[in-house]
Amino acid sequence: MPRADVVVIGAGLSGLSCAAELAAGGARVFLAAKGYASTHWTHGGTDVAAPAGARTPREGVATLAAIDGHPYGWLDGALDAAIAAHRVRLDTAGIGLVGTLDDPLVPIPTAIGTLRPAAILPAAQAAALEPWGDDGLLLVGFGRYRDAWASYAARNLRASAWEAGPGEIRALEVDLPDLAELHNLNARSLALRFDDPAWRTRALATISARIPPGAWRVGLPAVLGSAAHLAVLEQARSTLGHEVIELPSLPPSVSGLRLATALERQIMGSGGRVQVGFDVVEVERDRRRIVAIHTEAASRTLRLAADTFVLATGGIGGAGIRAHPDGTLEERVFGLPVEAPPRDGWFSDDPLVPHPLEAAGIRVDDLHRPIGQDRMPLLDNVRVIGSALAGMRYLAERCGDGVALASAHHVASSLARSAVAA
Amino acid sequence: MTFHDAAAREFPPFSTDACIKCNVCTTVCPVARVTDDFPGPKYVGPQAQRFRGPSSLELVPDRTVDLCSGCGICTRACPAGVLIAETNNRARAAIVEQRGSSIRNRLISDTDLLIRLGSNPLAPFANFGLRNRLLRWMGERVLGIHRRGPLAPFATRTFRRWWRAERRPTAVADVLDPTRTVVYFHGCAVNGFEPDLGRDAVSILERNGYTVIVPQQECCGLPFVSNGLYDTARRKAGRNLASLAAFARAGVKIVGTSTSCTHAIKAEYREMLDLDDEDARAVADATWDICELLVDLHDRGELDTGFAPVSEPLPYHPPCQLKSHGIGTPAMDLFALVPGLRAVDQQHDCCGAAGTYGLKKERWQIAQDVGAPLFAKVRAAADAGASRAACDSETCRWQIEQSSGVPTVHPITILAESYRRADADRGRSWRRVV
Repeated sequence: MPRADVVVIGAGLSGLSCAAELAAGGARVFLAAKGYASTHWTHGGTDVAAPAGARTPREGVATLAAIDGHPYGWLDGALDAAIAAHRVRLDTAGIGLVGTLDDPLVPIPTAIGTLRPAAILPAAQAAALEPWGDDGLLLVGFGRYRDAWASYAARNLRASAWEAGPGEIRALEVDLPDLAELHNLNARSLALRFDDPAWRTRALATISARIPPGAWRVGLPAVLGSAAHLAVLEQARSTLGHEVIELPSLPPSVSGLRLATALERQIMGSGGRVQVGFDVVEVERDRRRIVAIHTEAASRTLRLAADTFVLATGGIGGAGIRAHPDGTLEERVFGLPVEAPPRDGWFSDDPLVPHPLEAAGIRVDDLHRPIGQDRMPLLDNVRVIGSALAGMRYLAERCGDGVALASAHHVASSLARSAVAA
Repeated sequence: MTFHDAAAREFPPFSTDACIKCNVCTTVCPVARVTDDFPGPKYVGPQAQRFRGPSSLELVPDRTVDLCSGCGICTRACPAGVLIAETNNRARAAIVEQRGSSIRNRLISDTDLLIRLGSNPLAPFANFGLRNRLLRWMGERVLGIHRRGPLAPFATRTFRRWWRAERRPTAVADVLDPTRTVVYFHGCAVNGFEPDLGRDAVSILERNGYTVIVPQQECCGLPFVSNGLYDTARRKAGRNLASLAAFARAGVKIVGTSTSCTHAIKAEYREMLDLDDEDARAVADATWDICELLVDLHDRGELDTGFAPVSEPLPYHPPCQLKSHGIGTPAMDLFALVPGLRAVDQQHDCCGAAGTYGLKKERWQIAQDVGAPLFAKVRAAADAGASRAACDSETCRWQIEQSSGVPTVHPITILAESYRRADADRGRSWRRVV
């Protein structure tokens, strides 16, 4: 295997973004991941920060930055450039990104009819950010598609305290053409059908015919095409004659799938490699340097040597940190020490409230090298990004995407600078 | 793919407990992409597994698992390390054990038999039959082999017969320096259908300083594994291991041009067929895909890089079986060494053939639909000036060639051609000097 400049480990938002930025800058990048990651089951939007009381993402970042040990304590300065770079990548891919750090966090509806605060969303979801005025929300479900129930979501939304929400919320179940005999519809199979121009023309006409009179924004499951997404979105808007809002579905999430595919394509388009199914099983180390990692192969292992290794394997909810029954936590690739609350404080009493354990992660220095108790770097050529970082609360603070993008950009740009210097 | 988790290695279905129901596998499955009849890897794998007992004699909950083509993409994409494809394959074997197999599946798996019948001086007659529409129609009606299933023409002389006629080395006694000797596992494709590829592989290995030995060997058994016929597969695997183990223990590498056979030897003998003894481990550790070996040589600065220019665009499809090796795309690294060659990874999941899957009457359309975007990309590359495509696995090559109409070769064919041109160029300049 030819030597890489940088090996990125992990195919979530942070790993993919970091690899894309490095590859675009001319570095020889090899991205190795155990499997596909959270992109495939999350909403594909950009959650930067939404702690209680924050009116904009920037306010949220300021609140979190003030918490001792939170990654925003030093990454807040990288955020603007990181979001800008992300926007360019998504625009290039025809996904688009609407909203800024200074736009208001507004409640937007989910596929099960709850509300979540958001300010920065892919173009297909962005109409949910506009003030509702007199517009109503018409949720459309598709017959035989079981992962998005319009009437269930509508009922929940009507019962929720949605301030300044739509004037009216209604649900509509539509049977799309040619689906009557099918029984294994999922978000991806529908998205592939929407890629077909002939079928989607009929499907959109079928939906359009059922829309009652009125000023609506039409909420559709996020299945409006995969490869041909932009064309599908435009056609949906013009055929339905209303603004369209994609609502990310239960997994698999097509919104996230589009994001992952786009970034993967961009990495490969810049000459980088993306290999999924490459779990790290062995590490070659020379004092404080990693010489190579070995990934699992059908026999022997695959040796990947590089100057720098970026650890983007995720936190306690991902594959990066493993908890053992005895209460110890293990970082799976390099065996780095994990900072975490004491064992008896891992969980909240209410299972549906985010747990303190989600703050577990790797403590780093300003270059994102892992550090030990004495705050000295443990490994000189390893950089840790994304939710593997200690001190962030992905769910409670809604900061996962922002920390992923900011840390990826921070590390990619500092590596690019040191490469130029060398 | 070999997993370090011992329990899962011992019995892949154990790994299904790790499933977090995220559906990543559903999003990457090429068969679920094209047919609603297949509910996807999650349903037939980790979900259905809860209703299957560890004994293969217990009732199998549903037969849709048989629509799995065995490409293995789900296993590689799974973030939780579930051995989905391996679990599905075992479920299929349990169905076969309970309900028996068709004559068709036994026949198309038995490439050794087919080669004995077809690869001989009478091959032109057999090949006439393969091309004859009436006979193929009858083959579909009587046997269930699709009339347009991609079948390669038989060679008039097998690779093994040529090897013996040339009196080339075949025995452990022929090993002088184990580090400079390799065993060539030619596989059925080279033996019965593409002997020229075998000769190219041997010439490349010899050029790079290896003595090549072709010992006793037979079909690796993979087609039987894919069709759930584990007993026959185990017999073939056992005989191959018996022949290859002595070389492996002597420190000789075993090299193959078929990423399917080499993957079977590296992983499936142990994971699917439970042949996990010292011999099997030694042979697995000694087995290399040929491009993997050449890249390794290059990493050590020992590969002859005197490649003459092959100035053409080259659409390349890394086959699923290669991806399961976990070695990346070594052919792309080698293509990069050939001046003028503009190889492009087509970035498509699967060609659809999946060994014998695409031959079956009831699976042919699925296989075509799975590969359709790839065929279109290859055709577009041909329109833009490519004269051929490349792929490391034989049934994929035949599928791509037949369905795209673009000749499709093994990467080794292109490298051998480049070496030959380099020799010819040197010959010319030498003559000019004299």
